[in-house]
This record gives sequence, structure tokens and C-alpha cells, in this order.
Amino acid sequence: MSKIKKKRLGFVLDMTPLVDITFLLLTFFMFTAKFKSDSENQQKVEIKRPRTTVDTAKLADKDLVIIKVGVDSVLKDTAYYVSMLNELDVVNLRKAMTSLKFPGMDEKTVSFKVMDTVWLGQIIEQARLVNPRASFAIDADKRLRYQWIETAINEMRKKKATTFNFVTEKKM
Amino acid sequence: MAGGGELGGGKSERRGKKGKRKAKKRLGFRLDMTPLVDITFLLLTFFMLTTSMITPQTMEMNVPPEIDEPVEVKESELLTVRIREDGTLFANMAKDTPEKYTLKTLQKYVTDKNIELKNRCIVVLKSSPSAAYGLVVSVLDVLNAAEPDILQGLKAAGINERKRKFTVSPFDKTEDEERIKGL
Repeated sequence: MSKIKKKRLGFVLDMTPLVDITFLLLTFFMFTAKFKSDSENQQKVEIKRPRTTVDTAKLADKDLVIIKVGVDSVLKDTAYYVSMLNELDVVNLRKAMTSLKFPGMDEKTVSFKVMDTVWLGQIIEQARLVNPRASFAIDADKRLRYQWIETAINEMRKKKATTFNFVTEKKM
Repeated sequence: MAGGGELGGGKSERRGKKGKRKAKKRLGFRLDMTPLVDITFLLLTFFMLTTSMITPQTMEMNVPPEIDEPVEVKESELLTVRIREDGTLFANMAKDTPEKYTLKTLQKYVTDKNIELKNRCIVVLKSSPSAAYGLVVSVLDVLNAAEPDILQGLKAAGINERKRKFTVSPFDKTEDEERIKGL
């Protein structure tokens, strides 16, 4: 018999298992996907988090005040970026900061850029008033000098926020 | 593909016989799944690429509240860890001369001292304001990593409870810098 390759016409492949698995993966990724929030969109700082091995605790997803410390990629200055996770808290904090005449904010501000210690203390106090249950998290770039973090800790200490979190990344 | 043609064509004789419409089981019915698979794969890749799997972790810290009167502690129970601005670590007990440590040796030192002092060891971390924040977190990480070993050591010594005493204290320009100068 001659072994000439015959073109198989009308070749049909059963795609059902493929579609099954694909849909399964699709639904999985759709449900696990978390989209960027407003505050993440507003900030232009890139933060390289320090890596740790031990802690496996996940960051809380509500009642949280996040103090980001990072270097602005455009202006090259270090500042604190204070934001709150609960949306209602953000609105209330914005109101409170407007009445205190906080510079450089508008009615859309989600992440408050704080440059000096006095304002940092003020905003921490307001955040505590807005949501007394909120805990604090410091999310700072690992290359920064410790001074920045120490100042923030001292300000929190003054406002009686003695328990807080450092946001880290798990070491691979 | 072959599927499309089979659907529409070849069955025109059935049309018009509306009265006799009996639900007939269509054997060998085939649906062209290609566009479905196309779209699904497209969405799948989109969601796969946009999801970030790494969720941030946290490290909890407790600092004593700001009070005016200083708390009296026995100096013999005080373990001071200092971080110099160039990133060198120093540790010492009480008034001993600070010695250089690496992250690994520091963990062993802290573990040993904690077991030796049976829960009464107070760890104080003093970091130079110019030291990198990443290093400070590494030291905290090491102190946390030492906990399981300390627990085990205490258990071996007959103590089942662990009271952790840890605090962060400001780095004194004159006093602390003097002590670790030139080491």
C-alpha cells in the first residue's frame, strides 16, 4: 500500500472539554481579579515593599488607613500619601480636611499628599476621628531612610495609635 | 469548519408542516464552538494578565504609647539592637560593648539570650535615621523569626508562656553613635 498522506476532509475535533476547562479558568480569574481603586490611580509613586519571610497575615481590606511613603516619580520628592479604604471614610476625611484648609486638595482627592510633620499629625488625628476602629498601615519603599518611618510612628504614637502594620511582601 | 453548513441546509422539507411539530431528538447535532472558544480565550488571557497574584502581607507592630514618666527596667535584661547608618548591625546586653552581627547571627543571639533570661529579656531596637527602612524591616523579621525557637527553648526549660517584650526607641545622636563608633 502506498502511504500517501490523505487530506482529512471534514475533520471535526470535539472541543467540549477544552471549552469546559477554559470557562472554568475564566470564571476563576474573573472572580479573583481585583481592580485598581481610585487612590491607586491617583498616585504616581512606585513602592518597592520590603520582603519578609515569617508573617503570613494578609492586609485587612476594610477599616484601614494607609500611609504610603514613597518618592514621586515626576517631582522626585518624598512624601506621605494618606488614604482610607472605606469609601465613606474618605468622604468624611475629605470634608474634615477641607474645613482645616489642607493645601493641594480638591473634591476628588482620595490620597492626601502630606509633606510636613504637622499636617501628618493633623490628618492622622482626623482619620482617627472619622473612623475610630480603623487601624493604620505603613506602606513604605524599602530604600527610604528610616527617618521617614520614624516620624510617622511618632506622629501615630502621639495620636494614641500604638498598633499598626508594616506592609510587606512575601519573600519567594 | 464543517459545523456551519449542517445547521441550515438540507432540511427544507420540514418547513411548512407546522401542525406536526413534534419535539424530535436531533441526533448528531453539532454546534460550531470556534467563536465561543475564541472569545473565551481572549477573556481568559485578559483576566490572567491583569490579575496580580501577590497580595501584600503585613507585619504587625506595637509601640508603647507616649507617656511622660519613663518606665524603669532592669538594665541587665535589656538587649539593644542598633542599626548604624551604613547598615551594620550591633547588639549587646546591658552595658556591654556592642558587637557586630549579621542578620543570621543576630537571630541566634536573640534566641539564646531570650531563653537564657527566661522571658524577661527586653529587646530594644534603635535605628539610625539614615539607615534604610528595608533593613529595619529585615531586623524585625529576624526578631519574629526567632520566636518559634524561643518558644521551643522556653518549653524545654519548663516555661509554657511567652511574654514578648519589644520596643522601638529613638537613636540618640550622641550616646548611641558614640557607642558603636569605629567598631
